[in-house]
Amino acid sequence: MDEQATEINQNRQPLAVTLREFELTDVDDYFVWTSDDRVSAWWRWDTFTNKEDVLAFMEETVLPHPWMRAICLDGRPVGAISVTRRTAEHQCRAELGYVIASLYWGRGITTEAVKLVLGTIFGDMEGLERLEALVLVQNVGSQMVLEKAGFTKEGVLKKYLIYKGKISDMVMYSFIPTDN
Amino acid sequence: MNHDQNHQKPKTPTITLRKFTLSDVDSFMSWAADPRVTRFQRRDPYSDPADALAYITTHILPHPWYRAICIDNTPVGSISIKPAPGEDRHRASIGYRLAYDYWGKGIATEALKLTIKAAFEELDDLERLEAIADVDNPASQRVLEKAGFKEEGILRKYVRLKGETRDMVMFSFLVSEF
Repeated sequence: MDEQATEINQNRQPLAVTLREFELTDVDDYFVWTSDDRVSAWWRWDTFTNKEDVLAFMEETVLPHPWMRAICLDGRPVGAISVTRRTAEHQCRAELGYVIASLYWGRGITTEAVKLVLGTIFGDMEGLERLEALVLVQNVGSQMVLEKAGFTKEGVLKKYLIYKGKISDMVMYSFIPTDN
Repeated sequence: MNHDQNHQKPKTPTITLRKFTLSDVDSFMSWAADPRVTRFQRRDPYSDPADALAYITTHILPHPWYRAICIDNTPVGSISIKPAPGEDRHRASIGYRLAYDYWGKGIATEALKLTIKAAFEELDDLERLEAIADVDNPASQRVLEKAGFKEEGILRKYVRLKGETRDMVMFSFLVSEF
């Protein structure tokens, strides 16, 4: 079975990317990307240094999150993707976030995961009309993920968010249900 | 002595900003009860001054930065600054509304200029002021541009307004532009 999957990947067949909910038993996999400086460099959070902290994070933030999924490659979590809905009068919009282990960068896995989300999220979240994503202007890889998944670049919001103490310009992307 | 003999437009009246008091409720109703003004606001026009009084009491008076736009100390509109939530204290958004009879005289632009100055002087760490205007509200877009805001893009289906989801134009004014 495993060999067949490998062969399929070598023949450049579509990747076996699936999404599922996280469980605490995924902590070892979750530690892989959260302990990687190359990954955390692009995020507002600091690199995790021990599994106990990751476990606590999973208990406090990941498992209770209203919509968060493990990005799985051949059944094994290699990253995470979440949709965080705004509250009160802003419920028409939600923010997309995703992270993937650096070993798997540049292989189209994240783009595939984003497309899977786009296929279900507007049905899952009643009243959702806009899925948006904010990307650091320097994070060209992430911008390409969104563009390949069909997001529209709306503009650059200057000095919008603070990343690792630095006030940063962010590119705003959106996807609305009527986009092809 | 008016040297602008050929200038068609009347000069903008002198405007000042001050805090609201409860006795401003009648002035407040002059824009808050007007559907032409509330057209691009989430709320419906007020019909009962008691509701306006409650709003002034519970929302305006305790607000961190909410000012009456005044001509001869009489409010003709309001302008407010709202810091971004959470950690992003470097960012704040501006909203304003003006009584219909005072549109088209440069008053909102002047109020914005005064507010921009006050914001960057009073709010520690402020680096970005932002404002959004409905795509179908070109008058407000022009006001923001005249006050020095820069358009950054159109955010599609960004806010709910009276049962409809609207596209909004995002504007910013950075401390470096001040």
